[in-house]
Amino acid sequence: MIEAARSKVVPVAEWEVLAARQDVRRARKNALLTSIFGAVGLATVLLVFVLVAIIAYKGAPTISWEFLTQPPREGMSAGGVAPMILGSLLLMLGAFLLATPLGVFGGICLAEYGERSRLMRLMHASVAALAGTPPIVYGLFGLAIFVLKFHFGVSLIAGWCTLTLFCVPSIVLTTESALKTVPAALIDGGLALGLSRWQTLWRIALPYALPGILTGIILSLGRAVGEATPVLFTASVYYSTAEMTLGWDTLRQPVANLPYYLAEGYRQPGVVPERLIWGACLTLIILTLLLNAGAILIRSRMRRRYL
Amino acid sequence: MWRIRLFDNLVQVATWAAGGLLLLTIVAVFSYLFTESKYAFQRQFPFGFRIALQPPHSEYRDEVSMDPTASLLATHREGTDELDDAEDATRLPSHEELMQMQSLVTATAQTDDPNQLRADALFRDCMRAPKRAEQGERFLLVAFALPNYTADTMELAWEPDVSFDPAYCPYQLRLRLVRAPQGVQVDPIEIDLRRQPKGRIALPVWKAHTQEEWLQGYLFELEARPTTSTTWATLQQFLKPDWAPTILYARFGMLPLLLATLLITFLAVGLATPLGLAAAVYLSEQASPRIREWFKPILEILAAIPTVVLGYFGVMLIAPALQQLFGEALQLSSGRGLLATALMMTVFILPTVISLSEDALRAVPNSLREGAEALGLTLAERVRLVLLPAAKSGLMAAGLLAIARVMGETMIVWILSGGTPTMPDFSSPTAALGTLVKPTRGIPDTIAIEMGNVEFESPHYGHLFLLGLTLFVLTLGINLLGFAYRKRAQVQL
Repeated sequence: MIEAARSKVVPVAEWEVLAARQDVRRARKNALLTSIFGAVGLATVLLVFVLVAIIAYKGAPTISWEFLTQPPREGMSAGGVAPMILGSLLLMLGAFLLATPLGVFGGICLAEYGERSRLMRLMHASVAALAGTPPIVYGLFGLAIFVLKFHFGVSLIAGWCTLTLFCVPSIVLTTESALKTVPAALIDGGLALGLSRWQTLWRIALPYALPGILTGIILSLGRAVGEATPVLFTASVYYSTAEMTLGWDTLRQPVANLPYYLAEGYRQPGVVPERLIWGACLTLIILTLLLNAGAILIRSRMRRRYL
Repeated sequence: MWRIRLFDNLVQVATWAAGGLLLLTIVAVFSYLFTESKYAFQRQFPFGFRIALQPPHSEYRDEVSMDPTASLLATHREGTDELDDAEDATRLPSHEELMQMQSLVTATAQTDDPNQLRADALFRDCMRAPKRAEQGERFLLVAFALPNYTADTMELAWEPDVSFDPAYCPYQLRLRLVRAPQGVQVDPIEIDLRRQPKGRIALPVWKAHTQEEWLQGYLFELEARPTTSTTWATLQQFLKPDWAPTILYARFGMLPLLLATLLITFLAVGLATPLGLAAAVYLSEQASPRIREWFKPILEILAAIPTVVLGYFGVMLIAPALQQLFGEALQLSSGRGLLATALMMTVFILPTVISLSEDALRAVPNSLREGAEALGLTLAERVRLVLLPAAKSGLMAAGLLAIARVMGETMIVWILSGGTPTMPDFSSPTAALGTLVKPTRGIPDTIAIEMGNVEFESPHYGHLFLLGLTLFVLTLGINLLGFAYRKRAQVQL
């Protein structure tokens, strides 16, 4: 394997000639380039801190108990964003419940039967392609099929279905790659003990791969909750006073959500004051960061338990 | 024992069901983008010309549409309701009344048969329903002078209706002299209106002395002859350089949108790839494990910032800076435009590029690294000679994924691009700079902006799906290529 890789790169003899050259220019060039690499790395970290700091600076004064728990008042120009937070959470919850089984079992399907048939190879390629498909395309598809064809209308349930489609491909891929990291020795051991194939999967492979799978799920939900475009035409409303119940009616109604609130806030300038916009930005970031922190936590805890 | 078997079967069934559903989804996404695009092919092709008979030194020489006596011959949406003889306000008044208002007259009729013209059923304008590309249209135009006309020549002037561009019309458009008045010698007239959309032609004066004589004047026809099928015409129009779907003579040329999206992608990925690669090399080759452990979550934070928020950032930070730099020289109203979008896209894509490139570099076996180091190569040389070639497939996959992500990213373009479809122009340095900093509009944001107020299942709706399909096909190709590279990287190492 290494031979194969080596044959792809420059022949060794050339390296030896180069390495034998002892001049200052080589060392200087190296110092320059390596410090550039380090500087870019540092700059990236700085960029992250600057961005987060600016949002925190701009948004923190707005965040208050009232902002988080009150609906908008006075034609969106005052009050809070509680319905938007609730709507975002609702959308995420539904997507989580629908996408998890589909994504995990899809991932198992790929990992178990992955390279066996042409159909499965095709499926693998298509899922990989779907994972990179722009969210706006999912929005269009959701509009055509859930909103119009299935007559869901612009509604929470259409949003759930669209977000599920958006999340599933990446969950499938992370599940599949997590299952592939399970050492063959563990699987063989299970089979040797007389467990059936699916018992091995369920009792041995899945628990081992669980941190990877959970991380994948949480990260894709985090992406989904911050993404305005899949729900833009399928589930969103600027603000509605309709009461949320746990019934069918709520499912058929559009919901307000944070990304859409921000998008509309841009589309209709002057309606929502800038103060509230930055507050909503900060709230949205905190929401996605909480999810990410959860993913990191799960990853590190689980890793400790299994290794 | 039976419980184990049941359990086995349940998991297996669930797995297969999920796999089947996935396949179904893939097929459905494909087929629905296609089927909804069919509404684009139900479009019609409106056209309209203003034609007037003018004295040689008319004040409306260059603006026929301002001439109050001009006739409008048009097929467009506003003309779809059937013109009613009794109701129509632009019906020509009687001979005597007409004499008090003007001295040169053009008039038209509902019919396109010269034998059915009636002097008491002439109109100033004629508007008909727009047609498909396969269906032609024919308008008749009567032109004559009244006895109070004094000059000894007159001119027939024509120009396209406001916002109508004959290049966006699939028909062969001709203005033809059907019949000259008796006793007047004129050469045959036949004008190709697509080649000569605006013009004038001198005619010998001919006067109608009574209302009955009106019909004996010059008789012209404006003929739109089909040249191609609606499907083909729609596709041809789709590749034209102007996107204006809501004007009366709608234009659905997506070229400026496509080019803007490609340019933004090119700039953003061109900036993010070297930066990301540098940071990835630092992470995988230089950084200590402790730093690396801190770095990854920080990158994930950047990756987790929603794109709407990144868009707001651009408006707050990048756009004002660009406005200050170029605002006065180029008369910008804001710094929103292609460059601002591309810069924010770079920030958006950077974490993805870094973490994928780092994965690719780390997948290179340590033996290669150590061998090169043992030979005495410096780090920079190791990267150039050993690591980059060995990780080539993985790096290509990372770059391709970045391209697909940037191409489809909507909110950043929506907020930062300024929202005006513009054809990129690189003919001169000033024009190129203008292209970079002036407002533009890409494919994804056009879909997002316009889908909100479009009538469902209308041609406009269909065209938005056609745009979505274009985007999907582009990203699909790139993603599949990236997938192939990723596979190759796995096989190689």
